Amino acid sequence: MTRQTADLFKQGTLDLLILRLLSSGSLNGWDIMQRIQLTSGEVLSVTPGALYPALHRLEARDLISAIWRPSDNNRKAKFYGLTARGRKQLETQRKEWERFSGAVNLIMKDA
Amino acid sequence: MGLSNLFRRLRALTNKKELDIELDEELKFHLERDVEQNIKSGMAPDDARNSALRAFGGVDQSKEECRDARGVSLVENTLRDISYSARVLLKSYAFTIVVVLTLALGIGANTAIFSFANGILLRPLPYPQSDRLAVLEETARRGEEFSPVSYPNFLDWREQNTVFEDVAVHFGTSRYGLSGAGEPVEIRGSRISHSLLDVLRVSPQLGRTFTADEDRPEQDGVVIIGHELWQKNFGGDTDVLGKQIVLSNRSRTIVGVMPRGFRFPEISELWVPLALTPQTFTRTDHGLTSIARLKDGVTIAQAQAEMHNIAARIEQQNPVTNEGRGVRVTSLHDNLAGDYREALLILLGVVGCVLLVACVNVANLMLGRATARQKEFALRAALGASRWRIVRQLLIESLLLAIVGGALGFALSLLALHLLLNAIPIQLPFWMDFGIDLRVLVFTLGITLLTGLIFGAIPALQTSRVDLNDTLKEGGRGSSGFRGRSRSALVITEIALSLVLLVGAGLMIQSFLRLRQVNIGLDAKNLFTATVLLPRAKYREPQQRITFFKQLVERVRNVPGVEAAGATGTLPLNGNNWGRSLTVEGYPVLSVGQAPSIQHTVVTPGYFRTMGITLLAGRDFTDADTFEALKVTIVDERLARHYWPNDSAVGKRVRFGPPENNEPWHTIIGVVKSVRHERVQQDTDESVYLPHLQIPTPNLTLVARTTGDPNDMTGAIRREVAQLDRDQPISEIATMEEVVAESIWQPRLYAMLFVVFAGGALVLALIGIYGVMAFLVQTRTHEIGVRMALGATARDVFKLIVGRGMKLTVFGIVIGVAGAIGLTRLMHSLLFNTSATDPFTFIVIAILLSVAAFLACYIPARRAARVDPLTALRYE
Repeated sequence: MTRQTADLFKQGTLDLLILRLLSSGSLNGWDIMQRIQLTSGEVLSVTPGALYPALHRLEARDLISAIWRPSDNNRKAKFYGLTARGRKQLETQRKEWERFSGAVNLIMKDA
Repeated sequence: MGLSNLFRRLRALTNKKELDIELDEELKFHLERDVEQNIKSGMAPDDARNSALRAFGGVDQSKEECRDARGVSLVENTLRDISYSARVLLKSYAFTIVVVLTLALGIGANTAIFSFANGILLRPLPYPQSDRLAVLEETARRGEEFSPVSYPNFLDWREQNTVFEDVAVHFGTSRYGLSGAGEPVEIRGSRISHSLLDVLRVSPQLGRTFTADEDRPEQDGVVIIGHELWQKNFGGDTDVLGKQIVLSNRSRTIVGVMPRGFRFPEISELWVPLALTPQTFTRTDHGLTSIARLKDGVTIAQAQAEMHNIAARIEQQNPVTNEGRGVRVTSLHDNLAGDYREALLILLGVVGCVLLVACVNVANLMLGRATARQKEFALRAALGASRWRIVRQLLIESLLLAIVGGALGFALSLLALHLLLNAIPIQLPFWMDFGIDLRVLVFTLGITLLTGLIFGAIPALQTSRVDLNDTLKEGGRGSSGFRGRSRSALVITEIALSLVLLVGAGLMIQSFLRLRQVNIGLDAKNLFTATVLLPRAKYREPQQRITFFKQLVERVRNVPGVEAAGATGTLPLNGNNWGRSLTVEGYPVLSVGQAPSIQHTVVTPGYFRTMGITLLAGRDFTDADTFEALKVTIVDERLARHYWPNDSAVGKRVRFGPPENNEPWHTIIGVVKSVRHERVQQDTDESVYLPHLQIPTPNLTLVARTTGDPNDMTGAIRREVAQLDRDQPISEIATMEEVVAESIWQPRLYAMLFVVFAGGALVLALIGIYGVMAFLVQTRTHEIGVRMALGATARDVFKLIVGRGMKLTVFGIVIGVAGAIGLTRLMHSLLFNTSATDPFTFIVIAILLSVAAFLACYIPARRAARVDPLTALRYE
C-alpha cells in the first residue's frame, strides 16, 4: 500500500479526522500530525501546509478552540480542543462518513 | 456563532500583529518538534533543521492560508482594493474629473430638489406633536366647495366634539400699524381665539397666553408679540410685559412674548384676541380658519366621522344658514403642503431621470475604459486574481467615484437650493424649512451608493463575462463588438430618457407661454400699485375715509408722469378676495347654501380707466354716486351674460348678502370686461364692483398708470400720502406686472426647473452618443481602411458612421416617444391649456433631438472619412 498524502483528502475528511482526534483530549498541531500518521499505521499523512490552515478554519468556525500551555517538552504550544459545537459536528459527520464508507464497501464487495 | 465569529474577525483585524506573532510561534513550535525528533533519530543539527523545513513545505504560504482562514483577508483585501482604486483613478484624472462632475451635477440636483420637497412635504411642522394637528374646513353644497369657518359653527364644534383636545380659530394674516415703539411700522399679525397657542402647544417665553375673558369685545386690549419683533422693536427688554403699545390706533397691553422662530399662521409675528361674538360674526359670515388637536389615539377618519354628525345636527337646527354645510377634517401638514405635493413629486421624478441619464453616461465611460483595461484584467487573472476579485475591484472603483461625486454633489446642492429659493418671488410661509436634516443626508448617501452600484454593475458584469484567454490572445481588442452592443443600448436609453424630459420641458414652456399670454382683462404695463390701510380708530367716520381717498387719488393724478389714478379694495391676482352671495331681481331667491359666491370689489371712480379695464356698456362710477344717492353697482361681462344673455344688464337690480338680510337693491349702471381676479388660470369668476363712496372701506390699494417706469413713482406717491397724513404708511408697493408675475411664480419656477433638467439630460446624452461614435471610429479604423482600400469613398464612410449613430438616435426617439406619451400624462395637472400629448411639441422635440444627435455624430464621422487607408491598414 502506498502512503497517502493529505492533499488527496477531501477537506471534509481532514476536518473529520481532526475533530475525531481532538474528541479524546486537546492536542497541539504537531501532536495531531503524529497521531494521524501513527493511528493510520503510516498509511495517511498530512502536511503542515494543509493541517494548520484547517485548524485555523475550524477555529474560525467555532468548532474547536485553542489555548496556549506548556507541552511535554516544556515549551509553550497552542493546544486545540473541541467546543460543544465541534462535538455535535463530529457526531453528524461521523455518521455520514459511516454511511458513506459502508455504502462504498458494499459495492466493493459485490462487484 | 455569529457574535463570537464577528468578535474573532474584529480581533483578527485589530490585533493583526499579535495574531501574526502567535501564528509564527505556533509554526515555530512545530518545526522545533520536527528538528528535535530528527536529532533524536540521529541526524546532525543542520541536517535535522533542513529536513524539517523541507518536510514543512512553504511556510509563508501556510501562514497566508491560515490568515485567510481567520477571515481577515476580506477586509484587508478590500482596503487594498480601495487604495489601489484610488491610485488608478488619480492616474487617469481626466476620466475621473468627467465622471465625478457628471455625478456631482446629477446627485447635486437631486439633493437640492429633495431638500426642497423635504422642507415642504416631509419635515414635521415646527410645533410639538404636529402630526396631531388638524384643519377643520366648512364644506358647502354638500361637499363640493370648501370655505372658511363661521364663528357660531366653530363654537358648536368646540363644544360638541369628543375627538379633539381643543379646537381654535384664527382670522388669517392681517397688517397692523405699530406705533409707540420706535418708527411706525407695519407688522403682520393675526386675531386668534384664546386657546390657539395651547392647541399648537407653544407657550410664550415670557408672560402668558390670552384668557377666555380677553377673547371678548371691549376686553381684548391685549397683545402677544413674537421674539423677533420683541428683539427689534423692544430691545429684548424683559420689562416689556405690561407695556402699552398702539396697534392700528388702538392701545393694547403686551401680555406675552413668543419663543424665537415662532410664527403663525404663515408669517404673522403678533397676536391679538379674536374677540368675536355670534352676533357680530354670524353663521353666514365665513372667514375663519380652524385648527384642532386630535386626542391621543383618534384618527383623522374618526374625527371626520364625528364632525360629520355634528355638522348634520347644526344643519338641522339652522336649516336656513347651514343648508348643505358640512365639515372636512384634514391633517394640518397635508392641508398646508397639498398645493405643492403633485408638482414636487413630478419634479423629483424628473430630476431622478436626469440622474439616471448621468448614470448611463458614466456607465458608458466606464465600459469604454474597461475595454481599454482588458489587458490589465487579463494579466491580473493570469496572475491568479479570481474573477470575483476583479469585479469587486471595478465595483469599488465605481463606489469610490460615486462617493466623491456625491460629496461634491452635496456641496453643489446647497448652492442650487439657494438659487432655487432665490427664484421664488414671494415670502414663503414660515413653516417651510429647507435646512439640511438627517433625511436629506440619508437620501444623498442612498442615491450616491445606488448610483455607484448602477453605473458600476454594468461594466463589472461585462468584464467578468469576457473570456480572459481570448483577450490575451487578441491583444485586448477582440471583444469590442460585444462591448459596442451594450454601449449602444446605453446610448438608446439616454436618448429615450432625454426625449421624455425634453418633451416635458417643451410642454411646460408652452403651458407657461400660454399662461403669460392670457388676457387677464386689464393692461398690466406701467401700472403702479401700493396699499393704504387707514387705521379704523383714527378714520372712524366713513366721510373721513371717503375724503382721504378722494383727495389722495386727486393728488396722485396730478403727479407728473401719472396718466390716471384710482383705488380698489382688492387688486386682481393679489390673493385677497372677498366673495358674497348675490340675489338678482326677477330670479328666484336662493338660500345661502345654494347662492353663488360672487367676487366683490370696492373701487373709486376712474379705477377702470386706470387699469385698462374696458367699459362695455353704461357708465363708470362718478363723484355723484354718494351714500345718499341711488345705490349703484357695475357688473362684469360674465355675470351680465349669465343672467341677461339676450338683454342689457344696465338698469337691472341686484342685492348682496344672505337673502334674509334684505339689503338694499343696487342698480346696475355699467358692464365692464371680465378680469381674472382669483388666478390667471381661472376664467369662471363672476364679479361685481361697488363704489367706494357708498361702501367706504378703510383699506384700498392705490393704482396709477404712469408714462414711464412705475418704479420711479414711489417717492412722489409717498410724498402725496404724507402730505395728507404724516403718520400714514403705504405698503406692498409693486408694479402690476410684478403682481401678475408673482401670481404665477409656481408655473414659472417649475417650467424653469424642467428646462434646466431637460437641458442637462440633453447635454449628457449628446456627450454619450459622441463618445460611442468616437470609440466606434477608433476601434474600427482598420476596418475603415480596408473598406476604403476596396473602393469606398469618404462619403460612404461618413454615411456609415453617421448612419450608425442616427440608427441609435431613432431607436431612442421611438422608445422615448412611447415613454413620453405614458409619462407626460402624469404632469397633466401642471399644464395650462396644453395637452400632455401635444403632437406639435413631440414633433419639434424629436426633430431637435435628431439634429443635436447628428451634430454629435458629425465630428467622429468626419474623422473617419478623413482616414488615410494606408495608415489605417498599418494601424495596430
